[in-house]
Amino acid sequence: MPLSAISPSVLDPSASNRLKLIDAALLCIARTGASKVTIDDIAGEVKCSRATVYRTFPGGKEAIFAAAVETEVARFYSTMAVSMGRAGDLSELVVSIVTVSAAYLLNHETLNAIQASEPELVMSRLRFGEMDETLAGASAFAQPFFARWLEPEAASRAAELVVRFILSYLTDPDPRLNLEDEPAVRLFVDQFLLPGMVTTSTRQPLQQRSTTTRKKGRSTS
Amino acid sequence: MATQPDQHRALIEATYACIAKWGPRRTSLEDAAKAAGVSRATLYRYFPGGRDELFEAVVAFEYDRFFERLLHAVQGAKTLETVMELGLAYAHRAIVEHEVLHLVLSTEPELLESTFSQKGVTTRALIAEFLLPYLELHELREGVNPAEAADYLARMVLSYMGAAGRWDLSDPDQVRVLVHDELLGGIAA
Repeated sequence: MPLSAISPSVLDPSASNRLKLIDAALLCIARTGASKVTIDDIAGEVKCSRATVYRTFPGGKEAIFAAAVETEVARFYSTMAVSMGRAGDLSELVVSIVTVSAAYLLNHETLNAIQASEPELVMSRLRFGEMDETLAGASAFAQPFFARWLEPEAASRAAELVVRFILSYLTDPDPRLNLEDEPAVRLFVDQFLLPGMVTTSTRQPLQQRSTTTRKKGRSTS
Repeated sequence: MATQPDQHRALIEATYACIAKWGPRRTSLEDAAKAAGVSRATLYRYFPGGRDELFEAVVAFEYDRFFERLLHAVQGAKTLETVMELGLAYAHRAIVEHEVLHLVLSTEPELLESTFSQKGVTTRALIAEFLLPYLELHELREGVNPAEAADYLARMVLSYMGAAGRWDLSDPDQVRVLVHDELLGGIAA
């Protein structure tokens, strides 16, 4: 997302102070990285006083940043939900998740600025226990969309596999695979990911499936 | 007196032992130097950056040792399926049982960051290189490029090593399903 698109609410008189400050913070981070941003920078962007910032966010910078992360995650998920809802089959669903999330995240100016100046803020969310939480959250969000074509457990696993795929190729890009190139992604997805997901083309056969496709149980973690 | 490379290695191993015993926060440079049987001045000669540089070297050392052990554990595997199953099960167990790793993760996880970010790409490439001959020997589904498949599998191995997600990788049956169905479903003929 270009800088100009980050803070539509800053100039919108009807937007809440809270949202204006969040968008101002995102814009400031996009310019300098997170650690250099001050309350004065954020107040200056919205043209309000420091007191107004603290009245809205008594926790100061940390509280604004936490709210900004929450807001951006919600915006990302709502973009994803729109594209996932349009998918006509499982292949389209997976391809749209990969291409739309890549286009969104790779062009996200604030995220890029953090990756450049404080990469550990992002990467630490992708290691061990934190990665388990990230995976669980993202997979739970995508699971209902997969459940249109897969049994619930297979849908959960498929959602998790796609999240793993995206995280790997976003954090360690493969020059041979452009995640925003839909035909290339479709080839890759159809070759490597889809066969591993237990697929049916309609809802109806789901009830007729034998339990053999479910195989062994899983941990609940 | 120990020769120079030995002192370097002794410092790393002694520091590792101190971290294992007391945790990174309570390990001082004095402790490390004393445990290695060298002076503080000597420690600084090897690690002019002090604590940051020494601890980073310890993390890098243990990281390399971890993957050496992993490769060793799967040496005997004959097929693609076996090497993937053995590797995932071994790596999962080794991480769960790695007390020092969990100690660092719970106290000062940022110590891991530079090693993981610097070595991640190389590790992925190494795993892919290791898997490639197994793919070349295996009958593959139509259109599968072995090098591309090796790279994809290496990424997934690293992903499941770092976080098991919904899978219980201590259960051999689940590891088999993960490998045969999910990971090799589109690759193995």
